[in-house]
Amino acid sequence: MDWLEEELKQALARKEPGAGFDARVRARLHRRPPQWLAVAAAIVVTIGAGEAWQQYRGRVVKEQVMTAMRIAGSKLSRVQAQMKVSEQ
Amino acid sequence: MRPGRSLASAAVAAAGVAALWGQQFQFNLDHLKDKATDHVEVSLNSNTLQFAAKFMDGKDPDEAKVKKLLSGIEGIYIRSYEFKTAGAWSPADLDKVRNQLKTPEWSKIVGVKSNEDGENIEIWLRTEKGKVSGVAILASEPRQLTVANLVGNIDLESVADLGGHFGLPKVPKKK
Repeated sequence: MDWLEEELKQALARKEPGAGFDARVRARLHRRPPQWLAVAAAIVVTIGAGEAWQQYRGRVVKEQVMTAMRIAGSKLSRVQAQMKVSEQ
Repeated sequence: MRPGRSLASAAVAAAGVAALWGQQFQFNLDHLKDKATDHVEVSLNSNTLQFAAKFMDGKDPDEAKVKKLLSGIEGIYIRSYEFKTAGAWSPADLDKVRNQLKTPEWSKIVGVKSNEDGENIEIWLRTEKGKVSGVAILASEPRQLTVANLVGNIDLESVADLGGHFGLPKVPKKK
Protein backbone atom coordinates (compact mmCIF):
# COMPACT_ATOMS: atom_id res chain seq x y z
CA MET A 1 0.00 0.00 0.00
CA ASP A 2 3.02 2.30 0.02
CA TRP A 3 2.43 3.42 -3.50
CA LEU A 4 -1.15 4.42 -2.59
CA GLU A 5 -0.03 6.40 0.45
CA GLU A 6 2.56 8.08 -1.66
CA GLU A 7 -0.02 9.01 -4.31
CA LEU A 8 -2.39 10.41 -1.66
CA LYS A 9 0.35 12.38 0.04
CA GLN A 10 1.25 13.97 -3.25
CA ALA A 11 -2.35 14.70 -4.17
CA LEU A 12 -3.24 16.16 -0.80
CA ALA A 13 0.05 17.91 -0.18
CA ARG A 14 -0.23 21.56 0.91
CA LYS A 15 0.46 23.93 -1.93
CA GLU A 16 1.17 27.58 -1.45
CA PRO A 17 -1.01 29.89 -3.58
CA GLY A 18 0.61 31.85 -6.34
CA ALA A 19 1.89 35.35 -5.80
CA GLY A 20 -0.92 37.92 -5.54
CA PHE A 21 -3.65 35.32 -4.96
CA ASP A 22 -4.71 36.94 -1.68
CA ALA A 23 -4.90 40.40 -3.26
CA ARG A 24 -6.94 39.10 -6.21
CA VAL A 25 -9.47 37.43 -3.88
CA ARG A 26 -9.81 40.58 -1.78
CA ALA A 27 -10.25 42.73 -4.90
CA ARG A 28 -12.97 40.46 -6.26
CA LEU A 29 -14.84 40.57 -2.95
CA HIS A 30 -15.05 44.33 -3.14
CA ARG A 31 -15.83 44.53 -6.84
CA ARG A 32 -19.30 45.97 -7.67
CA PRO A 33 -21.57 44.09 -10.06
CA PRO A 34 -21.59 45.54 -13.57
CA GLN A 35 -23.70 48.68 -13.92
CA TRP A 36 -25.81 47.21 -16.74
CA LEU A 37 -26.91 44.45 -14.35
CA ALA A 38 -28.19 47.01 -11.82
CA VAL A 39 -29.99 48.92 -14.58
CA ALA A 40 -31.55 45.74 -16.00
CA ALA A 41 -32.70 44.66 -12.53
CA ALA A 42 -34.23 48.08 -11.91
CA ILE A 43 -36.08 47.94 -15.26
CA VAL A 44 -37.43 44.44 -14.55
CA VAL A 45 -38.61 45.46 -11.06
CA THR A 46 -40.19 48.68 -12.39
CA ILE A 47 -42.03 46.88 -15.20
CA GLY A 48 -43.21 44.17 -12.83
CA ALA A 49 -44.39 46.65 -10.23
CA GLY A 50 -46.10 48.76 -12.92
CA GLU A 51 -47.94 45.75 -14.31
CA ALA A 52 -49.03 44.64 -10.83
CA TRP A 53 -50.26 48.16 -10.08
CA GLN A 54 -52.21 48.26 -13.36
CA GLN A 55 -53.86 44.94 -12.54
CA TYR A 56 -54.75 46.11 -9.04
CA ARG A 57 -56.07 49.46 -10.28
CA GLY A 58 -58.08 47.70 -12.99
CA ARG A 59 -59.76 45.42 -10.47
CA VAL A 60 -60.57 48.36 -8.16
CA VAL A 61 -62.04 50.47 -10.97
CA LYS A 62 -64.02 47.51 -12.30
CA GLU A 63 -65.56 47.00 -8.86
CA GLN A 64 -66.44 50.71 -8.71
CA VAL A 65 -68.17 50.47 -12.08
CA MET A 66 -70.10 47.37 -11.04
CA THR A 67 -71.16 49.04 -7.77
CA ALA A 68 -72.27 52.18 -9.62
CA MET A 69 -74.24 50.14 -12.15
CA ARG A 70 -75.76 48.09 -9.35
CA ILE A 71 -77.01 51.27 -7.63
CA ALA A 72 -78.27 52.95 -10.83
CA GLY A 73 -79.80 49.69 -12.08
CA SER A 74 -81.64 49.07 -8.84
CA LYS A 75 -83.17 52.56 -8.82
CA LEU A 76 -84.28 52.31 -12.45
CA SER A 77 -85.60 48.84 -11.79
CA ARG A 78 -87.62 50.19 -8.85
CA VAL A 79 -89.09 52.86 -11.12
CA GLN A 80 -90.06 50.20 -13.64
CA ALA A 81 -91.66 48.14 -10.89
CA GLN A 82 -93.63 51.13 -9.55
CA MET A 83 -94.81 52.04 -13.04
CA LYS A 84 -95.85 48.47 -13.65
CA VAL A 85 -97.86 48.45 -10.42
CA SER A 86 -99.56 51.76 -11.25
CA GLU A 87 -100.38 50.51 -14.77
CA GLN A 88 -102.17 47.54 -13.24
CA MET B 1 -60.48 93.50 -3.61
CA ARG B 2 -57.25 92.29 -2.08
CA PRO B 3 -55.03 90.45 -4.57
CA GLY B 4 -54.61 87.51 -2.20
CA ARG B 5 -58.33 87.09 -1.80
CA SER B 6 -59.04 87.34 -5.54
CA LEU B 7 -56.36 84.74 -6.21
CA ALA B 8 -57.90 82.43 -3.63
CA SER B 9 -61.36 82.95 -5.16
CA ALA B 10 -60.00 82.15 -8.60
CA ALA B 11 -58.35 79.01 -7.27
CA VAL B 12 -61.59 77.86 -5.63
CA ALA B 13 -63.53 78.56 -8.84
CA ALA B 14 -60.97 76.66 -10.91
CA ALA B 15 -61.18 73.71 -8.53
CA GLY B 16 -64.96 73.74 -8.88
CA VAL B 17 -64.74 73.75 -12.66
CA ALA B 18 -62.19 70.94 -12.56
CA ALA B 19 -64.41 68.89 -10.26
CA LEU B 20 -67.38 69.38 -12.57
CA TRP B 21 -65.43 68.49 -15.69
CA GLY B 22 -67.27 65.56 -17.23
CA GLN B 23 -69.99 65.68 -14.62
CA GLN B 24 -73.14 67.47 -15.80
CA PHE B 25 -74.22 69.00 -12.48
CA GLN B 26 -72.79 69.41 -9.00
CA PHE B 27 -73.84 67.21 -6.12
CA ASN B 28 -72.87 69.43 -3.16
CA LEU B 29 -73.52 66.53 -0.80
CA ASP B 30 -70.11 66.12 0.82
CA HIS B 31 -71.44 67.38 4.15
CA LEU B 32 -73.61 64.23 4.42
CA LYS B 33 -70.62 61.91 4.41
CA ASP B 34 -69.92 62.42 8.10
CA LYS B 35 -73.53 61.80 9.07
CA ALA B 36 -73.87 58.64 6.98
CA THR B 37 -73.36 55.17 8.37
CA ASP B 38 -72.52 53.94 4.90
CA HIS B 39 -71.71 55.80 1.72
CA VAL B 40 -70.68 55.16 -1.85
CA GLU B 41 -68.91 57.82 -3.88
CA VAL B 42 -68.03 57.00 -7.45
CA SER B 43 -66.52 59.42 -9.96
CA LEU B 44 -65.35 57.77 -13.14
CA ASN B 45 -64.56 59.64 -16.34
CA SER B 46 -64.42 58.26 -19.87
CA ASN B 47 -60.76 57.20 -19.75
CA THR B 48 -61.22 55.34 -16.46
CA LEU B 49 -64.33 53.60 -17.77
CA GLN B 50 -62.51 52.41 -20.88
CA PHE B 51 -59.69 51.18 -18.65
CA ALA B 52 -62.21 49.34 -16.45
CA ALA B 53 -63.83 47.77 -19.51
CA LYS B 54 -60.57 45.96 -20.25
CA PHE B 55 -60.92 44.11 -16.95
CA MET B 56 -64.53 43.03 -17.50
CA ASP B 57 -64.92 39.33 -17.95
CA GLY B 58 -66.92 38.69 -21.12
CA LYS B 59 -67.94 35.26 -19.80
CA ASP B 60 -69.63 36.74 -16.74
CA PRO B 61 -73.18 37.75 -17.79
CA ASP B 62 -73.28 40.88 -15.58
CA GLU B 63 -69.83 42.07 -16.56
CA ALA B 64 -70.51 41.37 -20.23
CA LYS B 65 -73.65 43.48 -20.07
CA VAL B 66 -71.90 46.33 -18.26
CA LYS B 67 -69.01 46.18 -20.72
CA LYS B 68 -71.45 46.60 -23.60
CA LEU B 69 -73.15 49.52 -21.84
CA LEU B 70 -69.82 51.22 -21.17
CA SER B 71 -69.25 51.77 -24.87
CA GLY B 72 -71.91 54.51 -24.77
CA ILE B 73 -71.12 55.92 -21.32
CA GLU B 74 -68.69 58.81 -20.91
CA GLY B 75 -68.87 59.17 -17.16
CA ILE B 76 -70.44 57.74 -14.03
CA TYR B 77 -70.84 59.92 -10.96
CA ILE B 78 -72.73 58.63 -7.94
CA ARG B 79 -73.18 59.69 -4.34
CA SER B 80 -75.21 57.36 -2.16
CA TYR B 81 -75.62 57.75 1.59
CA GLU B 82 -77.33 55.58 4.16
CA PHE B 83 -78.20 56.95 7.58
CA LYS B 84 -78.97 55.36 10.90
CA THR B 85 -81.99 57.56 11.50
CA ALA B 86 -84.46 59.50 9.39
CA GLY B 87 -84.00 63.25 9.00
CA ALA B 88 -80.24 63.18 8.55
CA TRP B 89 -80.59 64.70 5.11
CA SER B 90 -82.87 67.61 4.29
CA PRO B 91 -85.08 68.25 1.24
CA ALA B 92 -82.91 71.31 0.63
CA ASP B 93 -80.01 68.95 -0.17
CA LEU B 94 -82.02 67.51 -3.05
CA ASP B 95 -83.39 70.90 -4.08
CA LYS B 96 -79.85 72.14 -4.68
CA VAL B 97 -79.37 69.31 -7.16
CA ARG B 98 -82.85 69.57 -8.67
CA ASN B 99 -82.51 73.31 -9.30
CA GLN B 100 -79.50 72.67 -11.52
CA LEU B 101 -81.63 70.42 -13.70
CA LYS B 102 -84.16 73.15 -14.42
CA THR B 103 -82.60 74.03 -17.76
CA PRO B 104 -83.85 73.40 -21.31
CA GLU B 105 -81.45 70.45 -21.76
CA TRP B 106 -82.88 68.54 -18.83
CA SER B 107 -86.37 67.11 -18.55
CA LYS B 108 -87.90 64.98 -15.87
CA ILE B 109 -89.14 61.86 -17.59
CA VAL B 110 -90.51 60.01 -14.60
CA GLY B 111 -91.04 60.44 -10.91
CA VAL B 112 -92.38 57.76 -8.63
CA LYS B 113 -93.35 58.07 -5.02
CA SER B 114 -94.10 55.24 -2.66
CA ASN B 115 -96.21 56.22 0.31
CA GLU B 116 -95.53 52.83 1.83
CA ASP B 117 -91.82 53.27 2.51
CA GLY B 118 -91.41 56.97 1.67
CA GLU B 119 -89.30 56.24 -1.36
CA ASN B 120 -89.10 58.91 -4.01
CA ILE B 121 -87.27 58.46 -7.31
CA GLU B 122 -86.93 60.96 -10.12
CA ILE B 123 -85.35 60.25 -13.47
CA TRP B 124 -84.15 63.21 -15.49
CA LEU B 125 -82.91 63.01 -19.06
CA ARG B 126 -80.50 65.39 -20.74
CA THR B 127 -80.81 65.70 -24.50
CA GLU B 128 -78.60 67.55 -26.93
CA LYS B 129 -79.52 67.83 -30.60
CA GLY B 130 -82.19 65.20 -30.14
CA LYS B 131 -79.80 62.69 -28.59
CA VAL B 132 -79.63 61.50 -25.00
CA SER B 133 -76.45 62.86 -23.45
CA GLY B 134 -77.02 62.16 -19.79
CA VAL B 135 -79.24 60.81 -17.07
CA ALA B 136 -79.78 62.07 -13.56
CA ILE B 137 -81.25 59.85 -10.87
CA LEU B 138 -82.48 61.41 -7.63
CA ALA B 139 -83.59 58.76 -5.18
CA SER B 140 -84.52 59.34 -1.58
CA GLU B 141 -85.87 57.40 1.32
CA PRO B 142 -86.12 58.55 4.93
CA ARG B 143 -82.76 56.93 5.72
CA GLN B 144 -81.16 56.94 2.28
CA LEU B 145 -80.19 59.46 -0.36
CA THR B 146 -78.76 58.68 -3.79
CA VAL B 147 -77.87 61.02 -6.61
CA ALA B 148 -76.41 59.71 -9.84
CA ASN B 149 -75.27 61.25 -13.10
CA LEU B 150 -74.62 58.90 -15.98
CA VAL B 151 -73.04 60.84 -18.83
CA GLY B 152 -73.41 59.78 -22.45
CA ASN B 153 -75.89 57.93 -24.57
CA ILE B 154 -77.47 55.78 -21.90
CA ASP B 155 -79.78 52.89 -22.63
CA LEU B 156 -82.08 53.13 -19.61
CA GLU B 157 -83.75 49.82 -20.34
CA SER B 158 -80.41 48.00 -20.23
CA VAL B 159 -79.31 49.75 -17.04
CA ALA B 160 -82.65 48.92 -15.41
CA ASP B 161 -82.19 45.36 -16.57
CA LEU B 162 -79.03 45.24 -14.45
CA GLY B 163 -81.18 45.85 -11.38
CA GLY B 164 -82.70 42.43 -11.98
CA HIS B 165 -79.36 40.90 -12.86
CA PHE B 166 -77.76 41.99 -9.61
CA GLY B 167 -80.01 39.84 -7.49
CA LEU B 168 -82.99 42.18 -7.41
CA PRO B 169 -86.33 41.03 -8.78
CA LYS B 170 -86.50 41.65 -12.50
CA VAL B 171 -89.51 43.58 -13.65
CA PRO B 172 -91.44 41.70 -16.32
CA LYS B 173 -91.50 43.54 -19.62
CA LYS B 174 -94.71 44.53 -21.36
CA LYS B 175 -95.96 42.09 -23.95
